[in-house]
Amino acid sequence: MSTATAILPHDRERAAAERAGIDESCRGPVLYFAASAIFWLLAGSILAIIASVKLHSPYFLTGIPELTFGRVRMAHLQGVSIGWTSMVTMGGSVWMMCRLCRTELIYPKLLYVSATLWNIGTLLSISGILLGDGQSIEWLDAPRYCPPFFIAGLGIVSAWVAATFRRRREKHVYVTQWYILAAVFWFPWLYTVAVFMISWSPATGVVQPIVNWWFNHNFLGLWLTPVAVGTAYYLIPKIIGRPVHSYYLSITGFWALALFYSWAGMHHLIGGPIPAWLATASTVGSMMMFIPVIAVGINHHMTMRNHFHRLKYSPALRFTVFGSITYTWVSFQGSIESLKDFSEVAHFTHYTVAHAHLGAYGFVTMIFFGLYYYMIPRLTGREWASSTLIRIHFWCASIGITIYFVGLSIGGWWQGRMLNNPDVSFASITQYLLPYLFSRTVAGILLTIGHIAFATSFLMNLAGWGKKRAGGPTYFVEKAPTV
Amino acid sequence: MDRGMVIFLGALLTFSSSWLGLVLYPYWQLNGEKPYQKEPTDDPYPLPLQGEAVAGRKIYQANGCMYCHSQQVRSEKFGNWWDEHGQERTGADIKRGWGARRNVSRDYIYDNPTMLGTMRTGPDLANVGSRYSEAWQHTHTFNPRSLNNWSIMPSFAFLYRKEKVVGERSEKALKLGREWTVDPGYRWRPSSAAWDAILSTQGESIKARFLSDPAHTTAAIDPNTPEGKKRLLDFWLTTEEEGVQIVPTGDADALIAYVLALRKAEVPVPEAKE
Amino acid sequence: MNPANIAVFAVVIGSIVLFGTATIMALGWAFRDGQFDNFEQGAASIFGPDEPIGEPTDAFPR
Repeated sequence: MSTATAILPHDRERAAAERAGIDESCRGPVLYFAASAIFWLLAGSILAIIASVKLHSPYFLTGIPELTFGRVRMAHLQGVSIGWTSMVTMGGSVWMMCRLCRTELIYPKLLYVSATLWNIGTLLSISGILLGDGQSIEWLDAPRYCPPFFIAGLGIVSAWVAATFRRRREKHVYVTQWYILAAVFWFPWLYTVAVFMISWSPATGVVQPIVNWWFNHNFLGLWLTPVAVGTAYYLIPKIIGRPVHSYYLSITGFWALALFYSWAGMHHLIGGPIPAWLATASTVGSMMMFIPVIAVGINHHMTMRNHFHRLKYSPALRFTVFGSITYTWVSFQGSIESLKDFSEVAHFTHYTVAHAHLGAYGFVTMIFFGLYYYMIPRLTGREWASSTLIRIHFWCASIGITIYFVGLSIGGWWQGRMLNNPDVSFASITQYLLPYLFSRTVAGILLTIGHIAFATSFLMNLAGWGKKRAGGPTYFVEKAPTV
Repeated sequence: MDRGMVIFLGALLTFSSSWLGLVLYPYWQLNGEKPYQKEPTDDPYPLPLQGEAVAGRKIYQANGCMYCHSQQVRSEKFGNWWDEHGQERTGADIKRGWGARRNVSRDYIYDNPTMLGTMRTGPDLANVGSRYSEAWQHTHTFNPRSLNNWSIMPSFAFLYRKEKVVGERSEKALKLGREWTVDPGYRWRPSSAAWDAILSTQGESIKARFLSDPAHTTAAIDPNTPEGKKRLLDFWLTTEEEGVQIVPTGDADALIAYVLALRKAEVPVPEAKE
Repeated sequence: MNPANIAVFAVVIGSIVLFGTATIMALGWAFRDGQFDNFEQGAASIFGPDEPIGEPTDAFPR
């Protein structure tokens, strides 16, 4: 498509003003979601470091019941899954939906209620767990009084996204919108079913872990992944100024993800007391995930082709592309991990922990960082104050997650091999793992330094320390076309 | 693509497929499974938790024990390793002594929540109730390193109370040397100055106790040499603190009652046969 | 095969048929409805006069 066909300055101004108006309408609630998410990210990071240190230095902070390993680990997961990733998912969905529908956000005040409910829920969840109300249901550890807050908050966001969509002025529904619409529909269903069947009206025995793993895997697969992939589908073309390479591939990727991702998850119970066909069904679903993953991988790579030099100039692009590449990698790894022979070793070890963090951090969180670097200046009308802070954030995050992944993957794999061999004593497995567990602490500290740089940048931006964006709240290049 | 309805229907259909297949179908197949009774006169297996163990499960939950300890013994055919003859073998869980048979869904019908676990930072606990005594469990929970110096398990000293002995020592008091009880949760050692101070006042009686200990009677000891000081200290640290004792709180008793009730692989059930 | 396995089998086959048919019908409808006309143009919908194709929109702050 030719880009040089004359764009009239007048059109340009009008389009820019429209976008500025949309961003303006989202500013309050989306910034509230974004700021809360950063707060929980920092809280989650501190809990993560405490938990990590305790695994290799058991005397660290011993004697404080609130900070015993099991509680801190549950609180960490709540902080980063419910607090950080979910709140970005919601705030980002609202913003992208408004932009892509070319419509302003209606009744923004109710979204403040939603974010407040979600914050109260997360606060109750973390403090409740630390005080001894944790439920020991993985990913659903929040005490029984928390889910109503999440369900209500989520309901508002889902309704708002749907309402925005109904009021759209842009006829075409872009690929990012498919992903967001599906995610805000899937997650409330997923969450409510899981809470009902495990906590409020518990099913018998092993039905609980089955529902639990269906939820856990789909939390990543049908809530975080769609929105993160959708974000990449919006940001990458937008930043480099080039449409998605193949729209056919993107639609294939979307439907294949919808159909197959939801079937994965049961391989986490491999060898467990559940019907064997369940794990087999999940293995099939996981293997079929190669289709959407390859589709997205090719598409993003081909879109980026000849534009990789832009990684040098755009912070948002750098994080997003890092996350997008990791998506391909972590999904391939996930498919392989679902295979029986592989899982028999990797199950019950730190290998799975490394994989989970590669997905939730290397992929989802990195793309969300990219989203912040693109979205926040357009909401506040301020540029980022310091390139140095962004660089510190990027390098800490990327090196940190690499150390994390490599260390625990190697350690976890051999842990699994040794666990499968009864001649190796438990004591020697424990001792073997210590250096790898230590490397995780190093990684965690690096990641946290990155998060502090990120939060500082964010606060500086809110405080108005950055340069005003030229021409108004959205990104105006110049009044006249520069092509 | 400009129809929202297509996306909605597609999302609905794809998701319902997994909901039906992975949630509702197993629910229909496994919910409400009944206990096993070989003869009508036999006790059914399993039985619901009794007494303190019910409260103990809450402590187990609240402290996230599940995040390091699984509760499932896997099949004799699960996993593989090669022995010294290069022979491929399987079934490490059972060979490690974690249970006599694999676990089946019936073992969990009274579990709520069902804590199968996802990680083995520590050993499997499905059948731990038949492996260790109550006293061992208390000592280990109070400070795991007092029994296994390599352990990375947290100390749960906060579930125990340190109190003055009034009259007789409590029967429930943990039998632990002062290195574990002076500063509960930690391993304690006096500084060398502090040790000199202790020796200057109680040196003779510590030495007498050292010599009367059956393990030391033949060894001469000189408390004035560094080597002798160290040997006396090592001995003294293993002796019990005078006048104080460590006793389990109700929470600790409940937790251990729960742990001792974990016997998920003892009673044979027909479907566990391989 | 015991009855439980037959039931599993029936459910799996049944849902494959059900969802397969639904998918094919949906695709057929989408084609007739013109959802795939000018399909690739949809990719350009996120660009507009002020942020046209060919112009990058993000850079490190100077």
